[in-house]
Amino acid sequence: MENWVNILVVEDEPKLANALREGLEAACYDVSLAKSGEEGFYLLYSTSFDLVLLDVMLPGRSGCEILAQMRRNGIGIPVLLLTARDSIEDRVQGLDAGADDYLVKPFAFPELLARCRALLRRGGPEKPGRLTLGGLTLDAGRRTVSRDGELIELTAREYELLEYLIRNQGAVVSREMLARDVWKESARATPIDNVIDVQIARLRRKLDDPFEQKLLHTVRGVGFILKEDTERS
Amino acid sequence: VIDRHHIRIRLTLWFVAAVAVVLLLYSAAASFVLLRDLRTQLVRHSVQDVETVEGLLYFTPQGRLMLRDDYHNHPESKRVLERLVEVRSPEGGVLFRNEALGSRSLGEILLPHEGEGGYSEREFVLADGLRVELVSRRHAVEGHPTIIRVAYSEDSLRRQFRSDLLAFILPAPMILLLAGVGGYVLVSRALRPIQQMARKAEEIKSDRLHERLAVNPADGELADLARVFNALLVRLEQSFEQLRRFTSDASHELRTPLAAMRSVGEVGLQKDCAAEAYRDVIGSMLEEANKLTRLVDSLLTIARADAGQIHLSPSRFPAKDLARECVSLFEVLLEENGQSLIVDGSEDAILCGDWLLLRQALVNVVHNAIKYTPRGGTIAIRIRESDGHVTLQVEDSGPGIPEDDLVKVFDRFYRVERGRSRESGGAGLGLSIARWSRNAWRHDQRANRKGKRLHVPDRSARPSMMQGMTVSPRGINAPIHLPSGATS
Repeated sequence: MENWVNILVVEDEPKLANALREGLEAACYDVSLAKSGEEGFYLLYSTSFDLVLLDVMLPGRSGCEILAQMRRNGIGIPVLLLTARDSIEDRVQGLDAGADDYLVKPFAFPELLARCRALLRRGGPEKPGRLTLGGLTLDAGRRTVSRDGELIELTAREYELLEYLIRNQGAVVSREMLARDVWKESARATPIDNVIDVQIARLRRKLDDPFEQKLLHTVRGVGFILKEDTERS
Repeated sequence: VIDRHHIRIRLTLWFVAAVAVVLLLYSAAASFVLLRDLRTQLVRHSVQDVETVEGLLYFTPQGRLMLRDDYHNHPESKRVLERLVEVRSPEGGVLFRNEALGSRSLGEILLPHEGEGGYSEREFVLADGLRVELVSRRHAVEGHPTIIRVAYSEDSLRRQFRSDLLAFILPAPMILLLAGVGGYVLVSRALRPIQQMARKAEEIKSDRLHERLAVNPADGELADLARVFNALLVRLEQSFEQLRRFTSDASHELRTPLAAMRSVGEVGLQKDCAAEAYRDVIGSMLEEANKLTRLVDSLLTIARADAGQIHLSPSRFPAKDLARECVSLFEVLLEENGQSLIVDGSEDAILCGDWLLLRQALVNVVHNAIKYTPRGGTIAIRIRESDGHVTLQVEDSGPGIPEDDLVKVFDRFYRVERGRSRESGGAGLGLSIARWSRNAWRHDQRANRKGKRLHVPDRSARPSMMQGMTVSPRGINAPIHLPSGATS
């Protein structure tokens, strides 16, 4: 579904740029790299892209300037700004320049993928009421979960956690993403990692323990993933 | 560097200028009075002279008007020789001119009322440019009406005036010089304490911040300056000390995960491993990277708070909502640990403040309590209300805080037992952030032996004070005491 999606990455730090390229390609995106704003600008005119990842601190013209120029020239491609500066003024400046989203370095890669998916999906069909994975079925309308026909009793938090995981099935979600999107924690410094770990363990007890096929996996150092294959566990 | 003498010279110049202006005004006023007196004197003499002339005038048998020769006998008559005398008939004809006047005229036209009412006086300029003081008087000589004019050159008057004025002006430079020297000495003396302070302050470098300026009460206002400066030095020393400790702690805390990351990576690369093992190595490194990220986020939060860059958006809410929210956040963790968290105390205490900030403060304190409470222990959030303050007190059944550490628990990077708590993932910043969040309300935080108290004042009485307030953790020592009964 997301095949043949073209993403332009404008980033001058070579290590990060290559990591982004590899990670995005592994997620089945076509990636073009630009090391400076001018190069990115040239590529924008010569190729058609579906999404731009734009670093704010670029040599020469800053990301914000390039973004503003793009918008003036009527290029409406979604843009995700990547920046090491996270003060409110910086965010406002970026969004004013026409950015669609804003990601602060250092970011978790799953988070980047989730944001990219969200930006690419924008305007498309969203939130199907019935989500399935293997024998697992989640009915968002009635807020019920069943596996192989058996109803699983979940607390409200467990249900929200599972819904988030199943909507992002096949993709790793980081603890930061869970803290922000499921627990609605705005401050990054709030210590709820062990709350998340305990909640995941409890969900796993209800979801996976009675079954042979494990769905909820921990990716060490990154986060959690809901998927069918058991290669990583 | 500004010239040290600059202010002295400037003040001295101003002083001299002021003295010069005073001298000038004084001289001008004195000259005016002097000139007026001299002129009055001159007129008085002239009037006397007119009377003398009256007595000396006679008609010769031929009908010519003459001055009697015997005037030389009277000393006052001799002065008449130096006077310019002219006598005219009421029709304007010249009846007499004395030798001193010769053929010059004291005015061809008779002014109306000239010489009437005793005498009249005026200034007059002769045809040859001589300025004179002219006194006229009507007088009948042997029955013939005449107008007698006696004029006196103003030259002598001016000569006198000039010499008097000179007596004023000659000493002026001397006076100004004295004023200048005196002023300079005075100003120098007044500024000496400042100079000494500056010299002393120059010596106080960042490594000698414990030194203080000498406060000499005899210096008056300058002693205040020294006191203010010393207070500044105290604050400077404190923040330097804080910065020094913070830097060394921060580098330690940053180095630890970096060292772990590096060792894990290096060791992992040394041997050939299965993909699974590599995955484990990378995962381990990522865990450390996450720790670093979290640490940097916390440090940034604190740095912003220190710089007063965090803006508050206050609202009113029941204190128990804040506590309940905290309980629900940690519910699973508590269940898993077999701990219980109870909320008790005032049901309807209202807080006014920034919800997110206060929540973060409470969450950090409660999280701290959960970490240090053994399995099966109890944690309590007690809401108390008194004297317009709402106090949220978090008590745990943990080991408590050693007496010596009570003052330090809110310090950055501080942990009671360093080894133990690193395992539980803390960097020792949680309580520091909590304190700052609470200090945004400028209240003192007290730690007691059993658990920590989060003292949150109720601001319902003065919500306006909160609006648009910028947080400054420097407000720690400035508690605001609300009037009692402020809560409703």
